[in-house]
Amino acid sequence: MRREALVAATLFALVGLFPLVGEAYWLRLGTTMLMYGVLAMSWNFIGGMAGYPSFAVAAFFGLGAYSGAVAQKFGAPAGLAWCIAAASALVFATLLGLALLRLRGHYFAIASLVVADVLRELVNSATDLTGGGMGLNLPVPAMSSIDAQAAFFFYAMLALATITFAATLLAARSKLGFGLRCIQQNESAADMLGVDTTLYKVCAFALSAVFVGAAGAIYASWVHYIEPPDVFDVLYSVKAIVMVLLGGAGSLFGPLLGAAVFLSLEELVWRKFIDVHTGVLGLLIVLLVMFLPKGLLSLSQRLPWAGKRP
Amino acid sequence: MNDESRMAVVTGAGSGLGRAIAMRLARRAHAHVLAWESPATLTGAAAAPFSVKQSSAGAGDRPCAFRRAPAAANLGLRGRGTACILRHADRPDPSKGVPTMKPVSIRSFACASFAAWAALLSAGAVAQDVIRIGAPLPITGALSPEAKKLQNGMNLWMETANKAGGIKVGAKRMKIEIVPVDYQSNTPRAVQATEKLVTQDKVDFMFSPMGSGATKAASSVSEKYQIPTIAATASSEQVYDQGYKYLFGVYTPNQTLTEPLADLVKKQAAGVQRVAILARNDLFPLAIAQEMEKSAKKRGMNVMYFEKYAIGTLDHASALSQIKSLAPHWIFATGYMNDLILIKKQMADLGIEAPVVTMIAGPAYKEFVSALGKGAENVTSAAWWHPAVRYKGKDVFGTTENFNKLFRDKYGLDPDYGEASAAASGVVLQLAIEAAGTTDKKAVREQLAKMNTMTFFGPIKFGPNGQVDSLDPPVFQVQKGTQVVILPAAIKQGNLQLGVK
Amino acid sequence: MLTLQILANGLVLGGLYACIASGFSLVWGVLNVINILHGSFIVLGGYLAFYAYGLLGIHPFLSILIAAPLFFALGYAMQHTLINRMIAAPVLLTLTLTFGLDLMLSNAMLATFTADFRKLTLDPPLGTLAFGTIVLPVDRLIAMVLALGLTGLLYLVLSRSRIGRAIVAVRMDREAAALMGVNVKRVYAITFGLGTLMAGASGPLLAMIFPISPLTGPAYLGKAFVICVLGGLGSVPGAMIGGLALGVVESFGSLWFGPEHATTLSFVLLILILLVRPEGLLGRKGYA
Repeated sequence: MRREALVAATLFALVGLFPLVGEAYWLRLGTTMLMYGVLAMSWNFIGGMAGYPSFAVAAFFGLGAYSGAVAQKFGAPAGLAWCIAAASALVFATLLGLALLRLRGHYFAIASLVVADVLRELVNSATDLTGGGMGLNLPVPAMSSIDAQAAFFFYAMLALATITFAATLLAARSKLGFGLRCIQQNESAADMLGVDTTLYKVCAFALSAVFVGAAGAIYASWVHYIEPPDVFDVLYSVKAIVMVLLGGAGSLFGPLLGAAVFLSLEELVWRKFIDVHTGVLGLLIVLLVMFLPKGLLSLSQRLPWAGKRP
Repeated sequence: MNDESRMAVVTGAGSGLGRAIAMRLARRAHAHVLAWESPATLTGAAAAPFSVKQSSAGAGDRPCAFRRAPAAANLGLRGRGTACILRHADRPDPSKGVPTMKPVSIRSFACASFAAWAALLSAGAVAQDVIRIGAPLPITGALSPEAKKLQNGMNLWMETANKAGGIKVGAKRMKIEIVPVDYQSNTPRAVQATEKLVTQDKVDFMFSPMGSGATKAASSVSEKYQIPTIAATASSEQVYDQGYKYLFGVYTPNQTLTEPLADLVKKQAAGVQRVAILARNDLFPLAIAQEMEKSAKKRGMNVMYFEKYAIGTLDHASALSQIKSLAPHWIFATGYMNDLILIKKQMADLGIEAPVVTMIAGPAYKEFVSALGKGAENVTSAAWWHPAVRYKGKDVFGTTENFNKLFRDKYGLDPDYGEASAAASGVVLQLAIEAAGTTDKKAVREQLAKMNTMTFFGPIKFGPNGQVDSLDPPVFQVQKGTQVVILPAAIKQGNLQLGVK
Repeated sequence: MLTLQILANGLVLGGLYACIASGFSLVWGVLNVINILHGSFIVLGGYLAFYAYGLLGIHPFLSILIAAPLFFALGYAMQHTLINRMIAAPVLLTLTLTFGLDLMLSNAMLATFTADFRKLTLDPPLGTLAFGTIVLPVDRLIAMVLALGLTGLLYLVLSRSRIGRAIVAVRMDREAAALMGVNVKRVYAITFGLGTLMAGASGPLLAMIFPISPLTGPAYLGKAFVICVLGGLGSVPGAMIGGLALGVVESFGSLWFGPEHATTLSFVLLILILLVRPEGLLGRKGYA
């Protein structure tokens, strides 16, 4: 555990030097990558460790974005707003988890998928609070220079990614992670052996929400304009899953690796194949699932830091 | 990219990276590539960017600057061709002869004389530069048909203006280059694309992305970098009420569409009392529906039904059945093409008839009429422009007729208001740059703010918030399968017909 | 009177919904694969009818007969070459696979047909029928009857034919069926082919009613989700009941809570049903 923490600390510290060299555009990409990393690591709690096919990332992301934005609208400073967003995602996920986690397989997938749709429509109709379809503008942070502003959000996202990683590390090496892996392998057996499955699953679900909520709020402050179809986009859920699959589900560094590779691919595809980029993305997904279902990390299982696969 | 207008000086081109860059530039058909053979001479000289005074006959001294090799390599690799360029901050007038260079330091002398030699060789070609305008467009995704329209309009403007020699900046002419980027119909992507255009592609000016929502989102970026930005398709006042100084839009506020229409109906169909409004719950369609409600109430009409429908609704039968049971005189529906086609089709399916049916924004497009056939008959609508309007502009198109003709020649179709407004954005920008006599962003912004002129699109004067307030949007009606202008009176082609089946 | 009209609207709409969902439900139930491609297949069927009518003058009702074998072949081939390899993989992987395939198909359609909304407008239009004060559009009515007919046909195939019984057997117990000499892979490919056929055949019906665009695929898919959960998986009568129920619920939801909330209401209903009765309204008995 110490070794992995060390590798991670070095990695994050190196990433932290990025604003010293990067231009605004690269900094923006870097921030997006960290955000993707947070989404992927978060999904890993419920999807990778517990093996529940959750599509609720978009719901938590949108909820966080709107909670943060509304808090800022009422005058909360950015940092506080992000915490409020994280807390609201946490509470929401706990309650939702208590209800939905009784379902399994496809049923759970579908139920978690429509949560985002329900929230989106609720936000859409709560025009007074959220601006509804008109979207919501956030205050542009009062900062001296553009670069400082870009660096600020980069570091905010970096801090969040670090915390998320630390949480993953702690969870993976604790009783919680063990219990979740038991649930993934055989839930009934785990239950019988005295694993409090409900508690563990709800914990994993809540963990998969809290950081995503904060990421949504930082994102909202960062782009300073949000609207329901964008922050509740189902693609956030799908991307998180694809990134984890790409890197290696259930592993420690897999989601991070997946996020980095995915963003590079996305950026490359986006630039080179304007007319067919979603098709190329689809092709990548198909190839990935068919030929590399255990992720890139499975190629290097022998490396010491590759994290144990359940 | 207009490569003939660029001149490249590659230092250290005798070997290695410099050589590669020089070869690459040569392949890209730059007018002249200067391969500096002895790097030692220049690395010292170019250690710091220095300025060279350059004098051209009669035009006074103009500054220009050299870029260092590393920066050049960096840029060159991205294929924008600005590698190690003698970068004129300001270009001399070709008619006034070839510029000569006067070095300010001995170390820079060699370099400068080479530059002068290169300038001699490339003669008039050097004395031109391009104005680069960023255009984030939803080329793929849900809004891709709209992107096509915007591109049609802005490209027509670019070609027409370039054919006329380009934009007149002070005493010289500069060509226009539009730099399009796809933002996949996704608003955050639009913000990113805008930032990329500004920081990486270093565009001089911006066109806004499609629609009020994305324009509002992206405007914060162009405001941050103080890039004058023209919005072709944003009408909602919320977009302009952010206190931004660099955003200018060519659409008047939404109520300018509903007010004349309500006046006309009030005057010509006094019996119209009961109004039903069905709006898509989305930025523009909802805003215009709310304006309609106000316009109707102001004239003493009774708004009996006002409901929103969710984006992506597949069935309107319930809402329409309810509307039918209220027997309204005026049905006002908002949405985009697919929504309005579906609503009108279902109105016919349910046998709903009313004296006046207004839909925004669909009937302005040919697709609406062709998709519905007879069902589109007598549907009224309003838009910011129509090919039937007649203005004598001071812009590159001149008259509206000429614009229509050029558009038809190029695309084989009549322009609609979206295409015209995209062209108008370019026209407005061109007029402001020409009035300013420079491409300085602050100066151009000032000219936009105090603009008061006439274009093929109509009179253009921006209000204090940056939104145009001088246009008189036409009201029209589908009659016998074509759109007929019924207002303003000066250009009307027919009268309001009552009764929609 | 308004109530009756809305009930009629809802039932007619529900018939179309049933047709959207039956193939999807079959594939989900038998193969345990959520076929994200389903919505795009419907749209593709719509384009087929649009061009057949516009270019060749073939009536959309006839297009169904053209679409059916074509789409069956497409589905069979797709299952045979791609999805069968992944059939034993976890839920998440098959779901992601069909999602990737759907991105490719919808992008291909976008590149071929553009995102312009098209409308198949019959000339002359079929008009409306009035029953007292209730008005119903003839095209919708015919489409509903055909949709229910197609769904019924699928039911008959499943319950009466040899291959149908094989499909049901595989649905009930894969291993046992294999032991009884059923070629499971072939059954899977045929099932997927049938599911695709249902999507492709409902395309022409829906094209007469809704504007066609590659972007409408996800909307159909969303409906299919709700209907399957309402009616229970893999059950054709379930899809029929689920479709009709959804049509009626949406119509009255729109009347009582405003059209804005009609879709939300159906999703809330989905979550509630999942929690209270995850086996669907009809339960698990009616496998066919």
